[in-house]
Amino acid sequence: MLSSHFDLTPSYGSRQNPICVKWTTFSGHLVNELVFALAVNGLVWGLIIALIALGLSIIFGLLDIINVAHGDFFMLGTVGGLVIAVSTGSFWLALALVPLFGLLLGAIIERVVIRPTLGQASLTIVTTFGLSMIIQEVVRATYGAQPRRLTPPINGTVHVFGLDYDIYRLCAALFAAACLIAFFLFLSRTKLGTWIRAVRHDPETATTLGIPVTQVSAFTFALGTALAMLGGVIAAPITTVEFRTGVDVLPFCFMAVIIGGLGNLQGTVAAAVLLAVLEGLVSSFTEPTMARIVSLGFMSVVLLVRPHGLFAGATR
Amino acid sequence: MTTSGLRILFSVVLLLVLVAVPYVLPALGATFWVNIVSEILIWSLLAASVNLLLGYVGLLSFGQALYFGFGMYGVVLSINTWGVGFWPALAIGVIAASAMAFVTGIFAVRLTWHYFAIITVVFSLIFYFAAMSTKWLTGGDDGLSFTPPPVLSIGSFRLSLADAEVQYYTILVIVMACFALKYLLVNSALGLRFMAVRENDRRAALIGINVYFTRLAAFVLAGALAGVSGALFAFFGRYASASYMFYHVSGEAVVWAIVGGTGSLLGPLAGTGALIVFRELVSTAWEHYLIAVGAITILVVMFMPRGLAGGWDALIQRAATGKAGTSETAGVAEKA
Amino acid sequence: MSAAAPALSISGLTKRFDGLVAVDGLSIDLESGKLNAVIGPNGAGKTTLFNLITGEIPANAGRIMFAGRDIIGLKPHDIVRRGISRTLQIKSVFGGLTVMDNVRIAVLTHERMASPFRSARSLRSAARRTEELIAEVGLSEHSQDLASSLSYGDVALLELALALAAEPKLLLLDEPVCGMGPQETERAVNMIRKLSKRIDVVLIEHDMEVVFDIADYIMVMAQGSVLATGTASEIAANSKVQEAYLGTPEDE
Repeated sequence: MLSSHFDLTPSYGSRQNPICVKWTTFSGHLVNELVFALAVNGLVWGLIIALIALGLSIIFGLLDIINVAHGDFFMLGTVGGLVIAVSTGSFWLALALVPLFGLLLGAIIERVVIRPTLGQASLTIVTTFGLSMIIQEVVRATYGAQPRRLTPPINGTVHVFGLDYDIYRLCAALFAAACLIAFFLFLSRTKLGTWIRAVRHDPETATTLGIPVTQVSAFTFALGTALAMLGGVIAAPITTVEFRTGVDVLPFCFMAVIIGGLGNLQGTVAAAVLLAVLEGLVSSFTEPTMARIVSLGFMSVVLLVRPHGLFAGATR
Repeated sequence: MTTSGLRILFSVVLLLVLVAVPYVLPALGATFWVNIVSEILIWSLLAASVNLLLGYVGLLSFGQALYFGFGMYGVVLSINTWGVGFWPALAIGVIAASAMAFVTGIFAVRLTWHYFAIITVVFSLIFYFAAMSTKWLTGGDDGLSFTPPPVLSIGSFRLSLADAEVQYYTILVIVMACFALKYLLVNSALGLRFMAVRENDRRAALIGINVYFTRLAAFVLAGALAGVSGALFAFFGRYASASYMFYHVSGEAVVWAIVGGTGSLLGPLAGTGALIVFRELVSTAWEHYLIAVGAITILVVMFMPRGLAGGWDALIQRAATGKAGTSETAGVAEKA
Repeated sequence: MSAAAPALSISGLTKRFDGLVAVDGLSIDLESGKLNAVIGPNGAGKTTLFNLITGEIPANAGRIMFAGRDIIGLKPHDIVRRGISRTLQIKSVFGGLTVMDNVRIAVLTHERMASPFRSARSLRSAARRTEELIAEVGLSEHSQDLASSLSYGDVALLELALALAAEPKLLLLDEPVCGMGPQETERAVNMIRKLSKRIDVVLIEHDMEVVFDIADYIMVMAQGSVLATGTASEIAANSKVQEAYLGTPEDE
């Protein structure tokens, strides 16, 4: 007798959580090897999540908005990656194209949705929530509601530390790490990166220095979107690809951003990796939901006691 | 006619329309819509709880579904475990929600703005995951069902929710009572304190207002409203499910509240009504109507920051004075 | 309490921000019944001193004795209830509410009225007190206007009404005439002078003309501590004060 709009609230908890570890990969190994494998898996996911969370963090730090649609940008990355890889037969083409789409999409969304409501801090949460509804529903309408899987572009396993480990996962981790390094080099070494840091630090002074603050903000949003979508393509072969994946990823990214310190980029990366490894380890002796509750509890304590993040200086 | 006269007239007409629903709609061959109106009434209380926090104390909560869920489970568990009657179960649901709001509020209202929005989501997620994994207690995703006790039972005289009219009027009376209490609240001394905190928390403290307790009081009262909403929804749906504690339910309530107009008494009813009617009309023809809901949300935030109630208010003002709205009502709580 | 008890007695008050000392072991007794003024170059720690007195920022060390009790560690709203009200340098009222409701909230709060069910606008005694206060600061004709629509000078007067609603024993005014035109300044100065007859007043002010005109007693602050104290003529003749002002000219 209940009507249809509760389709909105399906059973997220019971589905496969993309961040959680695939137990099956390791069945048959000794316990300590299993724990080790879960930690490595956490590290792999942590590095990918770090890319996405970094996007969330620069958007927050520079535009002062909480982007609730950020998880859906990640989801768009996985879907875009799968669609391009399947239709062209080349995953590598997808890897190159999807972040470019991300830049374009981010720039358009910034112009149409974000910029008109900038400055009304809490209302941007509402507009991005609306955006999130639109993105999920558009994907469901076009790509479909059925979860799919993408075969990794590199198959096979390598033998490390007594474990047979999926090569693609290792490559994904290395690639994500390389992207993180490239991003920080971009911030510190290029003119645009310097501008972004200047606007983050003090928009008014930046304006007087002749930095085009509006354009820099727009580019930052686009860059954040591209980072989330890049994370999506990299993750596509190791997760299920469907319109709701973003809903699971978003809380995790927020945890990384909060625990790392809102707007503290290095802290975000460190927290993402730390949390993913911790969740990996905690879920090796209890169920994944419990691991999630533990990290959410940890996050609330950080929010209340050290609102500037775990790694902030000893202020307050 | 004066502005307040028009507002009273409008409120009376609205009430009469709502009272007439179970007679008029079936006569028009739309019996199904009686339930839709019930649903609108119930959910409007959840939107009202967001509205109370955002519109009157200036706190955006993205976690009201938690207290909705506690209202639901308070009802279902107390009936299934102790076999209590309708009113005690309702009271237990509301008390459970308020108590939870008090406990989480102690921490949450230390924060404001983004931080407040985030911590309310985090708290609701923690309990969502907890409810999902304690299947023995909550039934998890599948939920728990129950048989609702009679609303009233005196001798052989019984009012049962199985009777569609009894169910509708029970819901209508409780929801209207909540809106009446909220009207008293926002026009009371405490309501003025809420608005002082919303407008300027530093000055509020400097005239002697305990800002923390004022926010906490608002948070508990909002939790109670969400609790009534959840309790009624449990009676209406004859079940409770952990999936209603997810943050998308909170998000929907925020959308209803914003579209209806924050800081206005009947805004939540307007927003919830408009969007649920929209859903019912459009979703049968277009499966992906949520695209339109998302777009409406964004457009309202951009172009109608005071929502439907704000637009309606300007109309009433124009009708009463023959000119566009003045500053008289902005920010004042007596909008009906 | 003896009749000669000071309005406010501060000893060893210290506040550090990230290693920077804003208020440095400041000690002073401010006499009751006098109009006290605090002056000093920018960055001398005047506003920080006010923030410490009203409990808005915690002190690192020291005591502030008011009405026979150390008020360090109390919350701002507690301090207001004990009888210290203040205005802010950037005038601060409840912009989205009417002048009437602004003052009404302050009056009801002072009367500890927080009932969630009785209509705030129907409480007679509070309504009378509200109207008195609005009349006292001369805003009666604006009582139904939104506070955000008032002129700058009127906002300052409204803020004063909010501070007075708590019936303070001590009133702290942070640059009360800053940003006012000549007429508004005169109105405000008259009001402050009148108030100081019945309430202890401490004001921070940059306009030396105003300070030397109305203050009975002046305290000069520099680098977080007291540089000199005395009457207007004593301060004007003080060489240390001249040095402090000439040495660090104000860029206003």
